[in-house]
Amino acid sequence: MKKHIDHFLEWILALLLGVMVLDVFWGVITRYILDSQSSWTDELARFLLIWLSILGAAYASGKKLHIAIDLLPQYLNERNQKILDIVITVIVLLFGIAVFLIGGLRYVYISFALGQTSPALNLPIGFVYMVLPISGLCIMYYKLLDLFIIIKNLKNGN
Amino acid sequence: MEISILVLSFLILISIRVPVAWSLGISALLTLLVSVDTYPALTTIAQRIVTGLDSFSILAIPFFILAGHIMNKGGIAERLIDFAKALVGSLPGGLAHVNIVAAMLFGAIAGSAGAAAAAIGGFMSDKMEESGYDKGFGVAVNVTSATTGLVIPPSNIFIIYSVASGGVSIGALFLAGYLPGILTGLLLMMVAYIWAKRKGYPTADRSSLKNVLRTFVRALPSLFLLIVVIGGIVAGIFTATEASSIAVLYCLVLAAVYREVSFKNIRPILVESSSTIAIVMLLIAMSMAMSWVLSYENIPQAVTEALLGLSDNKIMVLILINIILLIVGIFMDMTPAVLIFTPIFLPVTTALGIDPVHFGIIMVLNLCIGLCTPPVGAVLFIGIGVARTTIQKVVRPLLPLFLAMIISLILVSLFPELSLWLPRLFGF
Repeated sequence: MKKHIDHFLEWILALLLGVMVLDVFWGVITRYILDSQSSWTDELARFLLIWLSILGAAYASGKKLHIAIDLLPQYLNERNQKILDIVITVIVLLFGIAVFLIGGLRYVYISFALGQTSPALNLPIGFVYMVLPISGLCIMYYKLLDLFIIIKNLKNGN
Repeated sequence: MEISILVLSFLILISIRVPVAWSLGISALLTLLVSVDTYPALTTIAQRIVTGLDSFSILAIPFFILAGHIMNKGGIAERLIDFAKALVGSLPGGLAHVNIVAAMLFGAIAGSAGAAAAAIGGFMSDKMEESGYDKGFGVAVNVTSATTGLVIPPSNIFIIYSVASGGVSIGALFLAGYLPGILTGLLLMMVAYIWAKRKGYPTADRSSLKNVLRTFVRALPSLFLLIVVIGGIVAGIFTATEASSIAVLYCLVLAAVYREVSFKNIRPILVESSSTIAIVMLLIAMSMAMSWVLSYENIPQAVTEALLGLSDNKIMVLILINIILLIVGIFMDMTPAVLIFTPIFLPVTTALGIDPVHFGIIMVLNLCIGLCTPPVGAVLFIGIGVARTTIQKVVRPLLPLFLAMIISLILVSLFPELSLWLPRLFGF
């Protein structure tokens, strides 16, 4: 299951990044060669970046790529390290649920309720912010899975 | 009250190994919860995270990261090392100088100190050990010189500073970085020279002019990227973001010509880059949220008043800010440090008549030192990692190199012309 989600996210992230490069490059071309810059390239690029960053944050969280500082934990024994891992995972899980999922959903709801649309693409802006709750769900899945694995290891260790 | 919650929660979180980006977001949220109800606070932080990313200037960062990833595959590091060897290999401690010059060039092109430390250090550390150099010395030279690539343009951190400062010209910042970056490199070479003389490290034969030219021609396509990107931005032909997208396509073409990248491995490069990008961007988003909470709590005003209350002497305040930033740099990565402390310090320095471009250079040069110190020095750990050695061996040779970096910082702080002369020459 995790593999499928990882793989799916990888595809989407690669696609978002690839399209982003071509989009900005197209902006340059239209400005210099076609002599009239299309108004939507800037806007689309910014929206793609938001999606890439927020969705990528969940992916990196699942792969445990976010940078952390190893200061205190190296002095702990193996069992206490695992317990600390549980604490860290729960903290990230709670933040993901609170801000990305709940805060994100409220933000999307407010944007739709106010009927905000983007100036150039005329896109309801709520669709852009939708990436927050989606990423929140992914973080929740990854972190619950991590918790499950750590607790299983902790039990087997004893 | 609010500020103590913010600082304490952040320190506790990072010291128990909660990833730095999440720690920033969590302490921002906790601080906001003191004065704002739960649900609006959650929504506000969510909103700040997204709006922090919603900028056309910031787009340059993922593109330069992508260009760097393509370059790492593209055999560019080797060509730059060969060129550096022909140039400075015959000085006493030649390989150390080769490392410094190659790291300056590669760091400038790749825009990332970490990439430079990995690419150049990976090549040089074994070669230096074979030639009888002390391994710790090699790593120390590699990591300190890798940071000069952050000051020499193009450089992501100046784009971040431009965003954090509310729009200081990226072109001016790029030009301003040249002399301070090169000055730091030269001072590092001086230290390496003295160290090598004392240890009696070997010296290579002087390279013929023909060899210098030959290696230069081989390195030229990579160096040409610098001209396209910087030239284009300075001449106002395109924005930094557009330049970065051109850099991506240029690197792709170059790598394809060198036959190091084919159509088949574009997707792996995109995937690999997008996870690096996601790590950096989350750090940026969370720092922006934190910075917003700070200004919501009126922290910048309080700091301005406190600092100006202590002294209204330009030099004294600069010294004070530099000391605070050195301490910040030891505990915090460069990107969040720039995003969080620029809005705090810039009003003070601007009030004292210090040019925002000059202050940007001071700040980045200062925080470069923190990149090479434990416990968070990202570049230090990359350098140690690629050389497969331990931190204990690196500390001793690092000290004189730090001294060189601090001397450069003092000179750049005291003499604004070092930073401002070039941008003024080009009419910024």
